[in-house]
Amino acid sequence: MRIGYMNCNSKKETLQRFKPLTRYLSQKLGIDFEVVPVDTQDFPERFAAGEFEFTHTNSLIYLILHEENQLKLLATEKRGRYGSRTSGSIISRKGSGIKTLEDLKGKRMIFGPQLAPSGFLAQYDLMLNNGIDPETDIAYYAIPAGSFKHEKVVYGVYFGQFDVGAAPSLDLELMTADGKISADDFNIIAESAIVPYCTFGARKDLDPQLIENFRKALVDLTKEDRVDFAGENLKVLASAWIDGYETLEDSDYDILRRMAKNANMPPYQEF
Amino acid sequence: MAGYDRFDILTGCALLVCGLSLAILLVSGQKENSTAVAIDKAIEQQIAYQARIDFLHRLYQPVEALRAQGQSSSALLKLDELARRYPQEAHGQILQGEILLERGVVAESINHFVRAVRLNGDYVDKLSPLSRRKEIQQLVNLQLPLFLARAHKKPQNLALQNTLTGLYYLQSRLAGGCE
Repeated sequence: MRIGYMNCNSKKETLQRFKPLTRYLSQKLGIDFEVVPVDTQDFPERFAAGEFEFTHTNSLIYLILHEENQLKLLATEKRGRYGSRTSGSIISRKGSGIKTLEDLKGKRMIFGPQLAPSGFLAQYDLMLNNGIDPETDIAYYAIPAGSFKHEKVVYGVYFGQFDVGAAPSLDLELMTADGKISADDFNIIAESAIVPYCTFGARKDLDPQLIENFRKALVDLTKEDRVDFAGENLKVLASAWIDGYETLEDSDYDILRRMAKNANMPPYQEF
Repeated sequence: MAGYDRFDILTGCALLVCGLSLAILLVSGQKENSTAVAIDKAIEQQIAYQARIDFLHRLYQPVEALRAQGQSSSALLKLDELARRYPQEAHGQILQGEILLERGVVAESINHFVRAVRLNGDYVDKLSPLSRRKEIQQLVNLQLPLFLARAHKKPQNLALQNTLTGLYYLQSRLAGGCE
């Protein structure tokens, strides 16, 4: 059996974070799970092609797979101050004079990757809801290339390459906690509503008992659970940088559905 | 009295009176001294406590200022920054809990209040200048029935059970229970 893990910052980081968790799930369920790292853009196509049975993705990809392939919701990841939820922030450099959404007009903006709920969609929706069309009202916007796109957004604003940026609130929180940035460096112009965070899902045709066992193994995980991996005895959640898992309802993702429709994004995109 | 004349007896009595007086003086001096030490300690503790309160107000003043300006996102970020230097400070947990509650992030907010009260019971002491007893009481009164109803509908949901455990903990501390 295979678990497709969406590469968040890089393939290397994904493997490092999720191999111990996968080993734990294998031991708990008595099934030899294989880790399959997948680029975000490729995820829907590779899932549809049957390359993996379980998925670990951001909440927007979950929504796409749920709409298109009836992916079943298993558990939602908890990380950071909002637990199993997260949000998107629009930031500017302190001292730039850009303090309100109105100030965004005519400015240079950097977004996170397009399929990022808290790095693109939430801010895009927030701007539209406040009468600012990102396609016409700002000077231009860009999306960074390569890995660690969210940090590139933050540093892009910090070093003045862009006037404003769309950063996940979680990344701001973690970068501040790590001492990479200071709270005094940025204006947080606006913050979106909170939406579900990264999500585990299962193919619709899998054995229901297996799906339930998988879900239970995740939500029962505590910070003390350990696994032997690569010669070390690791704490499972800590090694994956996760606080825990929670069972949400599919209806908890409705807020994201509304955002995706408003921003004309998949899975509701119309041409 | 054989061998002792009147002069010896008078001298002996005088020495006895002097000795007794000296002993009384010594004992009463020690008493005064120990009372003074006890008062000094109480004052020292009071000064240290007051200094701590003043320090907390100064330390978290930027957070309060951002909250007052309606910039709760920036206030949360400032709390992350302060937590690097003071990770075990209960006051930061209280402020984090209050801001999250204002934003409707109830379960996480309860977690922060629980952490704060575990670290420092002053937050449920109605006489403490740090007291948040009224707010915590309101939180428990309002949220306990709601989370009980949700947990009743979904008994397998561990996240709900954990939040309930937190609410019961706060309830017991409000009722005067100890750790």
